Amino acid sequence: MEDDRKARPANPDPERRKVLRMLGKGSVLAAFLAQIGAAGRAFFPNVLYEPPSRFKLKRPSDYPEGYTFDSAKRLFIVRKADSFHTISAICTHLGCTVQWKAVEFDCPCHGSRFRPDGTVIGGPAPRPLSWWQTAVSPDGFIEIDTSTEVAIGTELIAKTGKA
Amino acid sequence: MREQLRRLWRQIFWAWTPNSDREASEAIVKNLWLHWFPAKIARASMDWNYSFWLGTASASLLLILTVTGVMLMFFYVPSTERAYGSIKDLEYAVSFGRILRNQHRWSAEGMVAVVFIHMARVFFTGAYRGSRSINWLVGIALLLGTLLLSFTGYLLPWDQLAFWAITVGTSIAKEAPVVGASVQYILLGGHEIGQQTLLRFYVLHVFFLPIFVWILFGYHMWRVRKDGGLAALEPMRIARMMRPKETPRTKSYSFFGITPGTSVAVMSSTGLEEEDQVFSSPNLTRRLTLVFLAVFNVTLAAALMFNAPLEGPANPSVTPNPAKAPWYFVWLQELVASTTIRIGPISVSGGFIGGILVPGFLLLLITFWPWFDRSPLKAEGVWFPPERRRQNYTFIGAMVVIVALIFVGVYLRGPYWRIYWPGQARPEMPRLY
Repeated sequence: MEDDRKARPANPDPERRKVLRMLGKGSVLAAFLAQIGAAGRAFFPNVLYEPPSRFKLKRPSDYPEGYTFDSAKRLFIVRKADSFHTISAICTHLGCTVQWKAVEFDCPCHGSRFRPDGTVIGGPAPRPLSWWQTAVSPDGFIEIDTSTEVAIGTELIAKTGKA
Repeated sequence: MREQLRRLWRQIFWAWTPNSDREASEAIVKNLWLHWFPAKIARASMDWNYSFWLGTASASLLLILTVTGVMLMFFYVPSTERAYGSIKDLEYAVSFGRILRNQHRWSAEGMVAVVFIHMARVFFTGAYRGSRSINWLVGIALLLGTLLLSFTGYLLPWDQLAFWAITVGTSIAKEAPVVGASVQYILLGGHEIGQQTLLRFYVLHVFFLPIFVWILFGYHMWRVRKDGGLAALEPMRIARMMRPKETPRTKSYSFFGITPGTSVAVMSSTGLEEEDQVFSSPNLTRRLTLVFLAVFNVTLAAALMFNAPLEGPANPSVTPNPAKAPWYFVWLQELVASTTIRIGPISVSGGFIGGILVPGFLLLLITFWPWFDRSPLKAEGVWFPPERRRQNYTFIGAMVVIVALIFVGVYLRGPYWRIYWPGQARPEMPRLY
């Protein structure tokens, strides 16, 4: 057997070889890194099995005067005669559920305190409690959208017949 | 027969009880479990009063936690519906299940404490200089790994503590600038706490974090040897170096016959003399066994005497009042509760300042401390040397502040996170589940 390396002609263009070699190695490396990225991307879910942010509650007339806590949705329905608004029970500090204490909201986790309209009295909360968009659905139920905040003082007027 | 079994045992594992110096070395070097220890060890580094064997205690706790943890995995179901029930089963239906869970829980809390005290010991003795600074960094990573293991661990029972700790913990992560919202999203596996959240924390707790801690533990041990053992040996090495070496007398053949001369002085590469060291087998192995058994029995005694806490099942609509973090995180809870800054209409949440900025600053400070330390070399490997007095007082000061915050959080905080002095009546809070 003859050494066939000797038979090979001299490399006519070493620069071209180098570029091709780098392209070859680079494409393998790029595929490797892309797969790592793809695997990481899998951890950001695309489909969430979470309850919708817009939902219906009870009829306006079902709510008594004052503050009614909805524990499942973590919010307060506030009624004053025919005007309604919804204040979030999620503390703006670190997400615990605030409690209504007749004259103010208090948070059990870090002691934030809020006025009846949700603005901050004291404690670590950086922002007032959110006011959620509140409407009456065509079939006559209170409908809330927790993806839309409204300005503090925005009231829904719903004629209920009785106060 | 007995003798044959003994021989077989020795053939497989090598000698545990040496009959000669050679056997003593081989008992370590050729033993599967012990080969990562040195064959000989300096007497000074085995001193109970220098290291208090805190690193060995931490490693013992890690081993206990791994074994009890794997056993608990046979009974625990990482599902939001069944997790709480499987913990109740461990308490009431599995034989000795309660002791298993208690021992895992108290070992975990013990590990947080012991790892921290170990770090304090290394700080007070200035044992983080030169090449040891790398091991100081590894140690900090191990402390963080321990804390993350504790955090992910107490989430698994899916009780009220778990649910609200995840709520607060991931809300703090959300406060991080730029990446915060994505970090919260990937941790929760969505916008709300749910099955994905539990599964993620479970896999972190039983696989990724233990692997991380065990690998770093191996590296930590390897570095201890490569850095020349405990820093306690450094004063001895300096003393040995200073001592004038007697050069051995020799005779050699010269042109005029035999002439007396001197040969070169040879020092051992460890910088230690023969008389400073003893064989690791049985001197080190015996103490390792002792420390492990002591730690095991302390955690077992705690497991027999005190039950691991378990609150009511997770309820997203009711936050316990007050909702307290475990003691080792309560100082952070104090910080997030009291560091919100308001300047006019702008306010910066305590979640960011007390939850990210302050701990991040403390972490950076302690990480780079070895490079700030400019005390002379003779202050290395000695408890409370006068040259490091200011540094040690600074560290003690920071510890006193943290312990004071823990005390306030654990004993003085009542409903709505208000301060109640000892003796002051606390309002009765309805227990809502």
